[in-house]
Formats: sequence, structure tokens, C-alpha cells
Amino acid sequence: MTLHIVSRSPFSSNALADCIGTFSDGDALLLIEDGTYAASGFMPENIAVGPVYCLKTDADARGLQVPETFQAIDDARWVSLCVEHKPIVSWFK
Amino acid sequence: MMTTNTLALCRQAPYGDALAREGLEAILAAAAMDQAPAVLFLRDGVFQLLPEQAPSAIGQKSLLRNLQALPMFGIETIHVCERSLLERGIDAKQLAIAGAEIELVADTGGFIAGFDSVLSF
Amino acid sequence: MGSMQIEGREIALDKEGYLRELDDWNPAVAEALAKAEGIELTDAHWEVIRLLQDFYREFELSPAMRPLVKYVGQQLGADKGRSIYLMQLFPPSPAKVASKIAGLPKPTNCL
Repeated sequence: MTLHIVSRSPFSSNALADCIGTFSDGDALLLIEDGTYAASGFMPENIAVGPVYCLKTDADARGLQVPETFQAIDDARWVSLCVEHKPIVSWFK
Repeated sequence: MMTTNTLALCRQAPYGDALAREGLEAILAAAAMDQAPAVLFLRDGVFQLLPEQAPSAIGQKSLLRNLQALPMFGIETIHVCERSLLERGIDAKQLAIAGAEIELVADTGGFIAGFDSVLSF
Repeated sequence: MGSMQIEGREIALDKEGYLRELDDWNPAVAEALAKAEGIELTDAHWEVIRLLQDFYREFELSPAMRPLVKYVGQQLGADKGRSIYLMQLFPPSPAKVASKIAGLPKPTNCL
């Protein structure tokens, strides 16, 4: 199953929307860098497509609260997610 | 030589910035090394396939002309996301790359999941 | 390299000897570029040079070895669409050397 990694804000980039458009059952979403802005507003409900992971250090750095529907993770968990999934798709723009 | 099961995702419109061209160049470079990836055009990437692109007046080379070289580089199937075409009002019958087959993909997620590695452009 | 004099004209070259301006190309320039590569142009060379220029007009890029072989095979027949044939005409690296003589940019996907 695919791990989708999004690093851009959903408010300024199509990366998250494009990613959601290709989501399959069993896929997982990981938000990093500006991708963590998906924790804002109504986004968490809009992207409830499967497990959503959020890199806690990136969310904390931006003063974002990780919503309950996301799983806040550290770097070690990020690595294990990468090992558990294939392929990995980076949606970086 | 080891063959890797790789997919290149093309999701950027041409001309606004260099990303679509850079993606294509990476695909051609890999293909020139006998590592041709599968290619899937989706979202705004399908705009790369529009016929009759005439960018010389904006000082750019035609990305479509470059795309038409894909069969010469050994890439003879062009996968295109069906829904992305629909959203943008593009008729699949308009699209043609000489020497290549255009294959519409309905389930992009399932398609992507069939690869070991994915390059995203 | 910088430039070379051909028929009283100053032709600008990049540091690898490719034409800076594609419009500078003519057959005399090709002869001079070939000579710099130690190649005497015959009909067999010209046939490939013209074909490369067709390729560039069609696809707006210079072909790497693999597409060059395929294109030559399609246009000139299977006996010529082989690496060894092109290697004999344009040693040591046919895609690069023939592109240079044809006045095209260096193949972008060619290491």
C-alpha cells in the first residue's frame, strides 16, 4: 500500500488535493513541513481518507495543534512508515 | 541489467514553470540508460498532452514535441488519468503521440500501488 | 574552444565545441566541425546528419544513442540502425559527435 507524503500547504498548493485524488483503500497519508497546515480549519474532516500521520516537530514549529483524527509521529515512526509501505509517493509541489 | 519497476508521475502543467520539462528530462535520461519508467499523466499534467501547443511566441520550446520523442526512447505506452481529463474538459480522442498508445487509467490509486518506486514530477 | 573561422565568418562555439547558434550551421560549417573531430564526411555521414536534423525538427531535442539508433533504423533501414554502424561513422560517441557536426545542441540525456 502506498504512503503519500505531502509537504505543501493545502491552502496554497494542489499537492494535497492531487494526492487525495489518487488515494486507495489501505493507503496512508503523512504530512510534513508546510503539509502540516492541513491541521487547520476544516481540512482534517476533508481529508479523512485513511490513516493520517503528521510529523509533530513540523506541526509544533508552526504553532499547530495536531487534531485528534491525525496521529502525531516522530522521525523514528516516519522511518518505520516508509519501511511498511510501498511505493512511497512524495507530493512536494 | 536490473530492471526496476518504476513509475513517473507527471502532474504539472507545461510552460508556467520548468517542472514539467525537468520531469520529462529525467524520464528521458532514465530511458536513455535502459531504465525507462512507466509514465502516468494526471491532474494538471494532462495539459502537457494537449495538441497544437505553439509556445515559440512566449520564448519556449514545445514540450509536446519533446513528449513525442518518448516512443523513440522506448516508452510506447502513455498512461493518462481519465478523471483528470474529464475535469478539464479534454476529450481523450484529441490526444495522440505517434508510435505510442494512450491508455486511460480509471483507478489511479490502484495503478500507482502496482509499482515499487514512484518519481513524482 | 570559443570560436572558429569558416569562410571568413566567425562561428561561436561552446566549450565542448558545439555551435552556440543553430542558425550558424551550413554544410561548410559541418565539414569544419567534422574535421575537428578527425572525420572526413562521406555520403553515409551526410545521410545521418540530415536525419539528425529531421529528428531535431520533429522532437526539438538531440537524441541520445538509443533513440538515434531506433530513428536511423526506422528511416534508413535495419542494417544502418545499429550502434556499430553509427560508431564507425562517428567515433567514439555517435550521438554526441553527430549532433555536434549537425549543428545541434549536445544531447541532454547523454552522459
